[in-house]
Amino acid sequence: MIEVQNLSFGYKKRKLLYKNLNLKLETGSIYGLLGKNGAGKSTLLKNFIGLLFPKGGNISVNGYTPKKRWPAFLETIYFIPEEVYVPALTIEGYKKLFAPFYPLFNEEQFHSYLEQLDVHDKGKLNTLSFGQQKKFIIAFALACNTRVLLLDEPTNGLDIPSKIKFRKLIASVFTDDKIIFISTHQIRDLDNLIDRVIIVDNGELLLNASIHEISGKLCFKSVKELPETGKVLYAEDSLKGHTIVIENTEKEDSKVNLEHLFNSITENPEMAKSIFQN
Amino acid sequence: MNNTFDAKRFGRLLKKTLLERPMQTLGLTGLLLALSLILYSVIKAFGGFNPAQNITFIWGLAGGGCFLASFVFGYFSSNAMGSSFLTLPASNFEKWLCGVLIAGVFYPVIFLLFFRLVDSSFVAIYHHGLDSATPFYKQLYESVYIFDLNGFVAWKVYPMYGFLAGSMLVGALYFNKVAFIKTAIVFSMLFMVVIGINWIMATLLFGHVNNAGPFNSVTIPAGKEEGTIELPSGFVGIINNSVWYVLPPILWLLAFTRLREKEF
Repeated sequence: MIEVQNLSFGYKKRKLLYKNLNLKLETGSIYGLLGKNGAGKSTLLKNFIGLLFPKGGNISVNGYTPKKRWPAFLETIYFIPEEVYVPALTIEGYKKLFAPFYPLFNEEQFHSYLEQLDVHDKGKLNTLSFGQQKKFIIAFALACNTRVLLLDEPTNGLDIPSKIKFRKLIASVFTDDKIIFISTHQIRDLDNLIDRVIIVDNGELLLNASIHEISGKLCFKSVKELPETGKVLYAEDSLKGHTIVIENTEKEDSKVNLEHLFNSITENPEMAKSIFQN
Repeated sequence: MNNTFDAKRFGRLLKKTLLERPMQTLGLTGLLLALSLILYSVIKAFGGFNPAQNITFIWGLAGGGCFLASFVFGYFSSNAMGSSFLTLPASNFEKWLCGVLIAGVFYPVIFLLFFRLVDSSFVAIYHHGLDSATPFYKQLYESVYIFDLNGFVAWKVYPMYGFLAGSMLVGALYFNKVAFIKTAIVFSMLFMVVIGINWIMATLLFGHVNNAGPFNSVTIPAGKEEGTIELPSGFVGIINNSVWYVLPPILWLLAFTRLREKEF
């Protein structure tokens, strides 16, 4: 479990990016952290892994304080940054040097994930394309079987087939004792993958809800004319009229469109807050 | 689990550190040794044995050691590499110790062995090349001897190496990019400031000062002569020991503190 209490963080002392942020992430969920560029998504992830230290408040990850960077803590968490690092080693060489640090590393799984992501042993890792390097690190991270997996813009640099394979793989390896936390601004890449959505903007937590909860509170649909009543959070012109996001007062079933959800929440944070607080 | 030190984990870390970037550690060490050999040969050819031994020893140990030290924690030039290093499941102490072992134990030991081998070989070749029938054979033979690793010059260089390498270790953790150059600039600036303060203090105390190198080369005009201002005898030892034997360990320990508090 990840617990954030009154987190304050800023790169400059006088300008805080996060102020008194409270957040609780339970195990057994794949979280999607959405936010605009510069919203503080990577910063939050770096606070979770202990690369950045809170200026105020506390963070607890599986009972550990990330700031201390204890080996016992780092064995339980894997962070894949937006740009990955691979040394001039072969796949086998990398595995030999890095895998022993992770007690739950599974070699069989590792090779299977590499296969599924189409990463083949072609000499030194640093000679592979950026996308291939990223897929290699994703396969390695998943094979480490850490209880927490933090991914920062994991689909950046992946081609369309790889993005699909990535989604399939994440969904297949997920178990109830894990937290997978994916930060991205490429919202569509998380479709059908995440079961909880977190939206941050200007250092503020705007939404932390499950997909189920969202579909219960909001309705995503196409209409010919904009409704005159009801809380419309977002409307977009389409060929057949308008695509809207509206408060789900009629308890209609609709599929959550993450892109529209994101626009709804960031454009109407107060209205969204009032809907989700009820 | 011990979160400070675990021998098995440390062994893995050391292996990973040495083999992950072999060009930066093993390759650089090899390069520094090769340069030392070239330097020795060139200076010996033009200036003789004594300057070759002294300059190679100073360059190889202090210069090379400080160059290598700046690479030991050189993970922070890229976001990805820095994250990978800091989030690897090993303690901050183990990561620091690894750097200290490479820059502070492995390199000096390898260099000293290499230097002794090179020096002995050159001296032996020289001795063998002498004609024992010449009248000055004994004089010529005794004019060239193996560099004393426990001698006056060596003991000036050891703390110098500790000081410079320690500065580079700290600098590499403060400056993410081109740490060697940035640390060298800061070091030079600090040195200039110390000289400046020393000069101001000496001027305030003695009026006119010819030279104000810290701390034992302050000279003032005394008539037509030049007089050297010496520190009180009790202080000389304290100042020298502080600069050469207390400051280096502080710098090496400061690197640990800095690594523990490193945000990236």
